[in-house]
Amino acid sequence: MKKLLMAGAAAGAVSMAFAGPAAAQCEPDYSGTTISVGSQTGPFIALAVQMAGEKWAEKTCGEVEVVEFPFGELYPKYLTAMVENQASFDVITFAPAWTPDFAPYLSVMPEEIRQTEEWEDIHEVYRDRLMIWGGEHKSQTIDGDLHTLSYRTDLFEDPEEQAAFEEQYGYPLAPPEVWSQYYDIAEFFTRPDENLWGTSEAFRRGGQQFWFFFTHAASYTNHPDNPGAMFFDPETMDAQVNNPGWVRALEDYIQSVEYTPPGSLNYTSGDIRTAFAGGQVAMNFDWGDTGVIAADPEQSEVAGNVGSAMTPGSSEIYNHATGEWDSFDETVRSPFMAFGGWQAAVPQASENIEAAWNFVEYLSNPENSMQAAITGGSGVNPYRYSHFENVDQWLDIFSEEEAQMYLDAQLGSLNAPNVALDMRLPGYFSYTEVLEIELSKALAGDVEPQEALDTIAEEWNALTDDFGREDQLAAYRASMGLPPLE
Amino acid sequence: MSERSRLATAVLFGLCCLWLFLTLFPLYWTLVTSLKTPPAVNRGPTYIPFVDFDPTIQPYVDALTGQRGDFYKPFINSTMVGLSATFLSVLLGAMAAYALVRFQFRVRLGAGIAFTAIGIGGFLALTAWGGWSEVYALGLSLIVALTVSIWLNGKKLPGPILGNTDVVFWFLSQRMFPPIVTAFALYLLYSELGREGLRALDTYGGLVMCYTAFSLPIVVWLMRDFFQALPVEIEEAALVDNVPRLRIFFQIVVPMALPGLGATALITLGFVWNEFLFALLLTTSEWQTLPIFLSGQNSYRGDEWWAISVAAIIAIAPMMAMAFILARLLRGGLTLGGIR
Amino acid sequence: MRDPIKYVFIWPAFLVVLLVSLFPLIYSLSVSFQNLRLVPPRPARFIGLENYADLLTQPRFWDTVGTTLTIVIVSVAIQYVIGFAIALALHAKVPGERLFRVTFLLPMLMAPIAVALVWRMLFHSTVGPINQFMGLFGLTNVPFLTDSTWAVGSIIVVEIWQWTPFVILLMLAGLQTLPQEIYEAARLENASAWQQFWGITFPMLLPISIAVVFIRMIECFKLIDTVFVLTGGGPGTSTETLTLFAYQEGFKKFNLGYTSALSFLFLLVILIFGVIYLAVLRPMVEKRI
Repeated sequence: MKKLLMAGAAAGAVSMAFAGPAAAQCEPDYSGTTISVGSQTGPFIALAVQMAGEKWAEKTCGEVEVVEFPFGELYPKYLTAMVENQASFDVITFAPAWTPDFAPYLSVMPEEIRQTEEWEDIHEVYRDRLMIWGGEHKSQTIDGDLHTLSYRTDLFEDPEEQAAFEEQYGYPLAPPEVWSQYYDIAEFFTRPDENLWGTSEAFRRGGQQFWFFFTHAASYTNHPDNPGAMFFDPETMDAQVNNPGWVRALEDYIQSVEYTPPGSLNYTSGDIRTAFAGGQVAMNFDWGDTGVIAADPEQSEVAGNVGSAMTPGSSEIYNHATGEWDSFDETVRSPFMAFGGWQAAVPQASENIEAAWNFVEYLSNPENSMQAAITGGSGVNPYRYSHFENVDQWLDIFSEEEAQMYLDAQLGSLNAPNVALDMRLPGYFSYTEVLEIELSKALAGDVEPQEALDTIAEEWNALTDDFGREDQLAAYRASMGLPPLE
Repeated sequence: MSERSRLATAVLFGLCCLWLFLTLFPLYWTLVTSLKTPPAVNRGPTYIPFVDFDPTIQPYVDALTGQRGDFYKPFINSTMVGLSATFLSVLLGAMAAYALVRFQFRVRLGAGIAFTAIGIGGFLALTAWGGWSEVYALGLSLIVALTVSIWLNGKKLPGPILGNTDVVFWFLSQRMFPPIVTAFALYLLYSELGREGLRALDTYGGLVMCYTAFSLPIVVWLMRDFFQALPVEIEEAALVDNVPRLRIFFQIVVPMALPGLGATALITLGFVWNEFLFALLLTTSEWQTLPIFLSGQNSYRGDEWWAISVAAIIAIAPMMAMAFILARLLRGGLTLGGIR
Repeated sequence: MRDPIKYVFIWPAFLVVLLVSLFPLIYSLSVSFQNLRLVPPRPARFIGLENYADLLTQPRFWDTVGTTLTIVIVSVAIQYVIGFAIALALHAKVPGERLFRVTFLLPMLMAPIAVALVWRMLFHSTVGPINQFMGLFGLTNVPFLTDSTWAVGSIIVVEIWQWTPFVILLMLAGLQTLPQEIYEAARLENASAWQQFWGITFPMLLPISIAVVFIRMIECFKLIDTVFVLTGGGPGTSTETLTLFAYQEGFKKFNLGYTSALSFLFLLVILIFGVIYLAVLRPMVEKRI
């Protein structure tokens, strides 16, 4: 019905536009222009594009058409269209990790967009790192992404649970600081007879699995003294993925399976959100989506009891340069910028480059992005300072306490000195495919962690050689924000 | 009837009933699931509307109002591509099949070999040493190879001569190729064409061409049987009156073979409608077909079974209707001819 | 013979097939000898048989061949047995034969993608009806799609469900061609139904059986859509079929040369398989001719 009403309204608007002087409302005037936006199958991200698209259409008299594909098909479809120089898409929404492969086919963001106050409002991790490739701004962040921890305050703050936990483990129950505590808590809350499990993580191949593994790994391998050395040695481009830090991370990741609901080996990141919102698990770590979905009483059984915190860290980090574990006096938090947030860009092949960038700017402006961020299921998480500052806006979905915790966890992670950036490399899928396969095998217990990681490292090195070590090294350093090698 | 054969009938009847249940249950399950609310699905399996759950038509409303992505476009795409490719392949295939029934073809193996050799060799030579772009090299070597082999075919070459059955076999052998082989090759060629300025990927023309070519073998094979069954006398009478062959074909033969043409067209339409791999490789945004759209229903959303069921029903329903039409047409004895 | 009009009839079809389905093959054959990738974009390099050698030494290739063969052989064998039995039943005019006939065709006409979606629902580990049914036997939460062995089994089940109708259809047609007189003679000699089947029906239907099984096998080799939806090739790579493997290489990694080589090796596998199959069964085929 709502849809019908809106269609009616739109028809009214159109007839008014035809009536003559009313056409002056179009600002800027893009009547007759249709912007085709590629997106993954909704509602995540596609919903946000649609919401902004309808408003943009009203404002500019243009039209926005959203073309949806399953996540797994997105990359090949975009790449095919762009390599062919087809004008299939005016705007593509995609993962920053694909930028290296896409960059040669993308248009540069118009200078004007970067001269505004709204530009300064974007958090610099996104603005100055993830939106740049090869020194040029080729994409606009439309979603903030990093992993944070969600936990159920009704369990964590229950005095009985607290007492029982302290008795069993010798320290008070609180959001975990380090991974060993995470597993204590997970074990403590794993109670199949109550239909409650400790945690949930994504394990399914093709279900965004490896980002969860990377979050574990960041804590043990993102050494503060060796920035950008998590995935590869930034001097030689040798794969680091089989060093002791990574092995420990994989052992942890496999251990998680014990404390997750049955069938969780088939869980995608979508499933872990429903598991948390359905009250099946005591905590999980995920992108900001778990928090927003779990807070929504229509989708959630635990609304009102959603706590947020940064993901656990570690006081021991493996130093690949010395080959030793370094100890730190305080826990080092290495929040992981998993995925790095959806971005939008305009292919050079587009026939409406100007209008397309106009739409991208509109889509990501503070007002629309705020609206999307507080809409459960839009998949958009905060990435602008204004998102974090306007706590009031979040009260539509969170209680005040929940909102404060959620935003603190998000902003705290972004501002963490040892924040870990995700891997971005040309030939990205070739690298992640072997990773996914070997992870699945290790999770299923078919191979030992060390063996799985050795296979991955061997394949990664072979790929690097195949793609050209020099080029890959330069690209890797750029993606990690390191200056080019002399 | 003896005691034993009654027992045998009972066993066979039981088997049929079991299989009927197995065939229908998944369809029934899809139907009831499409009438459920999200909580009704997640609560665990329930089977009978009004008895163990309250049905709703909300999933259908969501689908038809575009809440679950735009259904109409892939549906229209599938229909248009399906009908066009069916029409073309039935037309061309029937003509070829007719020729293969009424005329003798003789192809010298030598000419065939020459064709392959010149085709492949010419292409490789032109691209490797001539520096030609792939599309032009391919086009030129095709033309040369074809001309040479036609000329050779007129000469008295040694070696075996292939007849009509071999031509039919040649058509049919296309169906034995794993489609990924041709689909991928076609993708490469189409993208090469795109670089030359003739866009073929993700276009109506590109898809229709591809489906026409891949339906032709089946059409030729099926139609040949129908034409063989037709009496030749009427045509002979017409020939005596000097009626041109094309008119004979369209005005006499086609009307007589109409049931067969109908059945063949339905089978072809079914093939194109359901096809997944070619569409996956050859479309991007504009010409997405229904199966591609469907495959996207199971991904990021998690498993929203009520919506998936509706989507599946929308894809299945037209084929269901076809099944019943086909069942009628099949009485004409298509299946019998089809095997021979 | 000297009727030039015949070329007007056959050339359009011939040209279309040549142009669209055969000629691209030449192109992809030449690509298969190159190191050609779309990402990261690098100039093509001629590397001879390296792609082929790479594949043949890669365990993943052989695993995929193994998986594909398992699915093909097991599922087609079962399809044949069930399909033949049902065809016999329908031929014997069991009550309700007309209804059965039409209904049994249905699965075959459905889009494999839709079929796979439906079965994914049925196989669901917690809310699926099969799970509930298995619960009656004390087996709950069976990992139908997440355990390597179960997943292959599940795919086989779906294949059987969808394609047994094809066997029924053709075997039934075959049964209808059998002359009734032989059976009457057999009945006079007091041959049991069982003896009649092994003595007459089965041998006489052997040529058709061989053809039906052959067609089904060739078609089953092409399997991708069902796997794509049901398991996506997982867990790990345990349900990856040849077509899916080629798709992953070509469309995820855009490793064009490698994929072309892979598809030609695939063609080779089918050819070898087909030749062996026909060679083993040739005596029977020849008897038919």
